[in-house]
Amino acid sequence: MSTPEKCLCGNDDEAGLIERLEEIIITLKEKPGALIPVLQATQSLFGYIPNEAILKISEILNEPLSKIFGVITFYSFFSLKPRGKYLIRVCMGTACYVQGANEVLTALKQQLSIDIGETTEDKIFTLDIGRCFGACGLAPIIMVNDDVHQWIKSSDVAKIIKNYRRQEQPKTTEVL
Amino acid sequence: MQISINNNTYAAFEGETVLDVAKRNGIYIPTLCYHVKTGQSAKCRACIVSVEGMRGFQTSCNLNVREGMLVQTETKEVIDTQKQIVDLMLASGYHNCLACERSGSCELQDVCYHLGIEKTSFKDAPTGIKDESSEFIVIDYDKCISCGRCVAVCNNNVVNEVLGFGYRGKQTTIMCDNNIPMGDSSCVQCGECVQICPTGALTDKKSRGKGRFAQFEKVDTTCPYCGVGCQLTLHVDRAKNKVVRVTGRDVWPNNGMLCVKGRYGFEFHASPKRLQYPLIKRNGKHERASWDEALDYIVDRTRTITAQYGPDVFSALGSGRITNENNYAIQKFTRGVIKTNNIDHCARTCHAPTVAGLAHAFGSGAATNSIDEILETELIFVIGSNMTEAHPVVSYYVKKAAKNGAKLIVCDPRKVDIAHWSDLFVQLRVGTDVPFLNGLINEIFKNGWHDEAFMKNNTENPDDIKKWVADYPIEKASLLCGVPEEMMRKVAQMLGEAKKVSIIYCLGITEHTTGTDNVKTLANLQMVLGHLGKRGCGVNPLRGQNNVQGACDMGALPNVYHNYQSVTDEKVIVKMEKDWGISGLSRKEGYKLPTMLHKARSGETKILFCVGDNTVQTEPNTAKTIKEIEALEFLVVVDIFPNMTTEYADVILPDVCFNEDEGTYSNLDRRVQFLRKAVEAPGEARPTWWIMQELGKRMGVDLGFQSAKATWEDMRRTGTIMGGITYERIQTNGLQWPCPTVEHPGTPILHLNGKFTRGLGLFSKTNYRPQAELPDAEYPFILSTGRRLWHYHTGTQTRNSIGLENIFPEELLEISPYDAKIMKVKTGDMVKATSRRGTITLKAWVTDRSPAGVTWCAFHFREAHANVLTIDAYDDVTETPEYKACAIKIEKVSEGEPVVSRGFRQARP
Repeated sequence: MSTPEKCLCGNDDEAGLIERLEEIIITLKEKPGALIPVLQATQSLFGYIPNEAILKISEILNEPLSKIFGVITFYSFFSLKPRGKYLIRVCMGTACYVQGANEVLTALKQQLSIDIGETTEDKIFTLDIGRCFGACGLAPIIMVNDDVHQWIKSSDVAKIIKNYRRQEQPKTTEVL
Repeated sequence: MQISINNNTYAAFEGETVLDVAKRNGIYIPTLCYHVKTGQSAKCRACIVSVEGMRGFQTSCNLNVREGMLVQTETKEVIDTQKQIVDLMLASGYHNCLACERSGSCELQDVCYHLGIEKTSFKDAPTGIKDESSEFIVIDYDKCISCGRCVAVCNNNVVNEVLGFGYRGKQTTIMCDNNIPMGDSSCVQCGECVQICPTGALTDKKSRGKGRFAQFEKVDTTCPYCGVGCQLTLHVDRAKNKVVRVTGRDVWPNNGMLCVKGRYGFEFHASPKRLQYPLIKRNGKHERASWDEALDYIVDRTRTITAQYGPDVFSALGSGRITNENNYAIQKFTRGVIKTNNIDHCARTCHAPTVAGLAHAFGSGAATNSIDEILETELIFVIGSNMTEAHPVVSYYVKKAAKNGAKLIVCDPRKVDIAHWSDLFVQLRVGTDVPFLNGLINEIFKNGWHDEAFMKNNTENPDDIKKWVADYPIEKASLLCGVPEEMMRKVAQMLGEAKKVSIIYCLGITEHTTGTDNVKTLANLQMVLGHLGKRGCGVNPLRGQNNVQGACDMGALPNVYHNYQSVTDEKVIVKMEKDWGISGLSRKEGYKLPTMLHKARSGETKILFCVGDNTVQTEPNTAKTIKEIEALEFLVVVDIFPNMTTEYADVILPDVCFNEDEGTYSNLDRRVQFLRKAVEAPGEARPTWWIMQELGKRMGVDLGFQSAKATWEDMRRTGTIMGGITYERIQTNGLQWPCPTVEHPGTPILHLNGKFTRGLGLFSKTNYRPQAELPDAEYPFILSTGRRLWHYHTGTQTRNSIGLENIFPEELLEISPYDAKIMKVKTGDMVKATSRRGTITLKAWVTDRSPAGVTWCAFHFREAHANVLTIDAYDDVTETPEYKACAIKIEKVSEGEPVVSRGFRQARP
């Protein structure tokens, strides 16, 4: 397969983003416990936390790299890999599990041809799992970014994905 | 209070844990994550016990005792649960002891032994992941039980902040930096993680396969590198006559911690390059000779020359790297047999201004407080010290104190690594310490932050200092030192408001033409603040070499006998003459080291007897030093390796090194520590005291040196401040002088309660004088010099130990990013650095450690060492050279391979 000239997720200008990140870190620097807000800003700026950003954060906040990396990998909100436009999270909490979350997950894996933690080739979907979203009455549920889909059956999965895919026209023209 | 364990009653104290009480009474409870140095973490759960009235099981490592507590550690339920916990732990990786380094010294193995577990009843989960990327440490992830001890010591004890936990839950793993291989990370290879690891997950690479812990004889001794004087244990393979492993001892001053040199730089003792036989230069070539031949030749030449020109043409150099006994032997020989006071040593090139300046102000020229007190202080004021590289173990304490809430101010022209841990980093111009400090004192007076009562009661001239610093209002001081006024005010305020201030300084203060003034100004500052004679305070110079304090204490100085007894005091001379049974001791002060050399060219120095001092490479302006050395009529060098100086020697004598004879070293907080013999010396190498005894005998004087101990006892008879220190008393722990009698407990803090050794403290007037050679249009850069973490002095020890050179193979010239951009130089390019005295060609390292206009390199590598460039300008009081400032120009020679930067907090690119 040929390599895309530009990254499809729109993060093509990472150097520019690093500069913006630098400004953000400096404004947050003096706050106690600045690391987490800085990482949140990084995550939303890049869609993930690139290595250059980790080095920059370490340098400006004067925090050890190991601490930053530890925090990033501890919280599932942060990602070291680029994520798709839509993050699908399947609740695997007890209630959802009992109500068939595992089947939903299997269906999603099949439909998207990816495993947990992976992103589709077109960079539209990332599949992840979570532990109890606190809405057990709606079990089983999945979240697509901030949208909640309740009482899901594995047969619903194809339709949901189709809906999101329709909203997002893949930029096939840019692929050589 | 009393608690019951397994139905027996034991005494317990408030604040203790159940584990503490059990341990004290010989009751074994399995522990893995708990270690006295890392404290409670209750992660591994192996130490569970049951307590009546408490639900479930309790982890004994963090369970505080309560009156009447009924604890069971050996019931079936407890043992079964412990077994299950450890069983699961074994299934976390692949714990196979067959070829493990730590078999026999593994705490997990001990726990399994105790619980009777042969193998996990679950399935092993081998991953086969091993990180062998670093020079000295292997991480075997299959043997890691995620106890977190290594992470705790790396972050809280040595505070290098490299190891951490990554990921969560079952995936949790230890990792370096941002989960990169250790060899690529910012790890400085101190090895503390290896020492604390309970299993074989972290092991020393260089001792792998050489034998397990129990196989070797353990010899406790003192580290042969810097002045911290770390206590270590050598693991000795007797049959091979070699040290195979080094571990730190859990006693002061290092509390088990070591640095990369102390832990991994030990093979030099067994290097085939060692000097093994006496050599005499015949027809321009060094030829092997017998000891008799060599010693007779030295005596013959010395007699002939001194008979013709008098004793003062003889000069001797002791060393900060040989034992107290050997230094004492050299000075007694020089003074008692040759009858001259021309004896000096390398403190002249580093801390002579400390000895002079502090003795002037306080009456005693040594560190006033101890290393361990750093942890108790409120504000640490570090000036002119690159401690993370030159004194790593002291830096661990400073970083730890800073992390635990002490304020840290770092003042240095260069952004030294310790600055990353500081609350305030003050970047002053090179050589402007006097106006900077005087400006601070001025500001302190202005705001009434000084200690009026201390000044009035404990100092001689409190009114003078107020007058003197009036010349340095903060505006003027700020202009001179280049520190913004606001920042200076902030520093003054922090100093003024803290209840305990410890000043720590090093060669950035002393190696200037104003070295003694710099030290005096620091003494002024501390007397103004009144932070002397108390715990956690004081003025604390970091002495450079392992025994540079001791060489001074032993009188390897031209103006004093051992224990600082003046050579011009008739009473002292009479005492020495009587004790030594020698008459006609010289009544005049001897030459200082630079003077000895200068006088070689005028013919006033004809013989130099040089022990453990690579003079050619360590004195400034090498071209000039070589001319002076060549002008000597007779040069004897006693050393362990051939070096730049031995090449010029008429006779070379092989010395023993730190683990081949017993003796003592005095460290930077005046602690006299014991050194044990661990291996046999190579060939015919002999200790210096033996050489001096033999020479004395041949010249008709029995100096009484039958052994190191006899030499020490000889010193002790006429010793004052060290008279009470005997070998027997320092077998396990060192003693800090003054210790005048054998009953005296030693003195951790000098000038206690402000009662100075000289009576009242003395303020001195100090004024700004610029450095000897300022940059100009032709030589636009300042060159400052110093030490690298990975090497020691002229590299004879570190470059002959395996591995250190792989990490840092050649000298680099540190250039600021600003200057590098203008010159189009990048890290790895070859550059030529030229001063008015010489040229060296070396690789550039572009780093923001250097400010614009300032460059920096060290003198470890003879191929390109700083002293070719440095200037032979000296402090007017002590003749200490200005190594910290000279002017150079830089030309780019060729492009180098691009080097990937490791980020910051680095001791290398």
